[in-house]
Amino acid sequence: MIELKEVNKSFKRDQDTLKVLENISFTVEKGEILCILGASGSGKSTLLRLMGGFDFCDSGSISIGSEAVVSPSPDSILIFQDFNQLLPWKTVLQNVIYPMKVNKKYGSEQQRRDRAMEYLEMVQLADFYNAYPHQLSGGMKQRAAIARALALEPSILLMDEPFGSLDALTRQSLQELLLQIWKRAGVTIIFVTHDIQEAIILADRIIVMDNKPGRIKDIVQNSFDRPRDISGGDYLELYHRLYSMLSV
Amino acid sequence: MKNKKLIWILLLLALWQAVALSGRVSPLTFPSLGMILKALVSSIMAGELLSQTVFSLVIILEGLLIGTLLALVLAIVSRTGDTMNSFVDTLITLAHPLPGIALLPIIILWLGTGRSAIVFIIVHSVLWPLLLNIIAGFKATPKLYSDVGRNIGLRGIKLFYDIYMPSSLPYLISGFKIAWARSWRALISAEMVFGAVGGKGGLGWYIFKQRVFMDTAGMFAALLLIMLIGILIEEVFFNKIEKQTIRRWGMAEK
Repeated sequence: MIELKEVNKSFKRDQDTLKVLENISFTVEKGEILCILGASGSGKSTLLRLMGGFDFCDSGSISIGSEAVVSPSPDSILIFQDFNQLLPWKTVLQNVIYPMKVNKKYGSEQQRRDRAMEYLEMVQLADFYNAYPHQLSGGMKQRAAIARALALEPSILLMDEPFGSLDALTRQSLQELLLQIWKRAGVTIIFVTHDIQEAIILADRIIVMDNKPGRIKDIVQNSFDRPRDISGGDYLELYHRLYSMLSV
Repeated sequence: MKNKKLIWILLLLALWQAVALSGRVSPLTFPSLGMILKALVSSIMAGELLSQTVFSLVIILEGLLIGTLLALVLAIVSRTGDTMNSFVDTLITLAHPLPGIALLPIIILWLGTGRSAIVFIIVHSVLWPLLLNIIAGFKATPKLYSDVGRNIGLRGIKLFYDIYMPSSLPYLISGFKIAWARSWRALISAEMVFGAVGGKGGLGWYIFKQRVFMDTAGMFAALLLIMLIGILIEEVFFNKIEKQTIRRWGMAEK
């Protein structure tokens, strides 16, 4: 349903032109979790921003369904790595309600509120609905951002290393939470990460990116049954395969 | 902190009183606290000091309102593109360093010595610092917020109003603090120079007039009133607004 065709992107800095993405083509199926795995500097965040319509590619095309992506849309919500993506002047609940209100979704204010509470419960933040973002921990903020995104019922979630700055335990619990929600909501997820383990736990397919310029090195199928316990031998094999691809 | 301030104020008042009662200064030029308080109470009771104060405050509010509207319009205009941005930037560079009081002779020439002349000076002293702060606030708005805003479907004026404005509130508030202080100063000096405007003269004129009558205690009474109003606005009004907004949101002191 999402299709990228020969996408190229470079940035100009002073006199130099830095090629960030070269000839990127792939498709994303509806309802799948696709991980884009790469080291820093592989252009994976840039790729995600292009898919979200935040930037334009130099050549090539990106389309969702049959329509070209030209600007950001409430139908594909980007979740950032930065914890500060909640609006600090709104409470957690207001942060979740606000995008629905802007898009005039779900009729009345009361319905939006009920819906927001439902999603806050889903991410286990119902008790903090009245808190302001600065009163929350990093993990809680990311959970609230996920609730805010899901409450809009987008068909696509673009996630830019959303758990990258969290401690290992919190990260693991959020990965589990994301999988639960994904099963329930049936949303398509494109998840950028540099963490091989995270990619193995989450993805149906893993796009491995090459460095400077960012190119697709390989697309790896990951069809282990969920929930995945990554201590088994088969997982280790996949881990080493991905690891050797990244480190060359 | 608050209590410490109070102790210092009391100490300074005691020092004042000690000097006044030492017999080394003339009560004509250095009145005691009792005389100042008496002058304050009697001129308030007589109604003149209060009505002059109200007159001054109304002019300030008028100037602040016009200055704020102009600053907002210019700030929005400066965001519409590089050409307009450099235009507004040039205006600020030219006008900001100019003290309002330096404009007085020209303004008298153009507008006379009426009320509108004082309002003009206040608008001038409010507009530029406010505009500078608003623009700084817009520039300091994290790209993250505008990305989030665009993502959920905000565009144009709605993006401006819902994202940029609240995000620059810390800058707006400190802009208003500067604007308030400057307008207050501009007003007092303008009133002193202009003399009685429209039958009244405002606080500045009141102080000036008391000197003519050699009413030193009355002059200090008016100064005390100016200080009290300043403290009231600074510590009570702005403090309350900050507490309910940026401090509550964790956006203060960035």
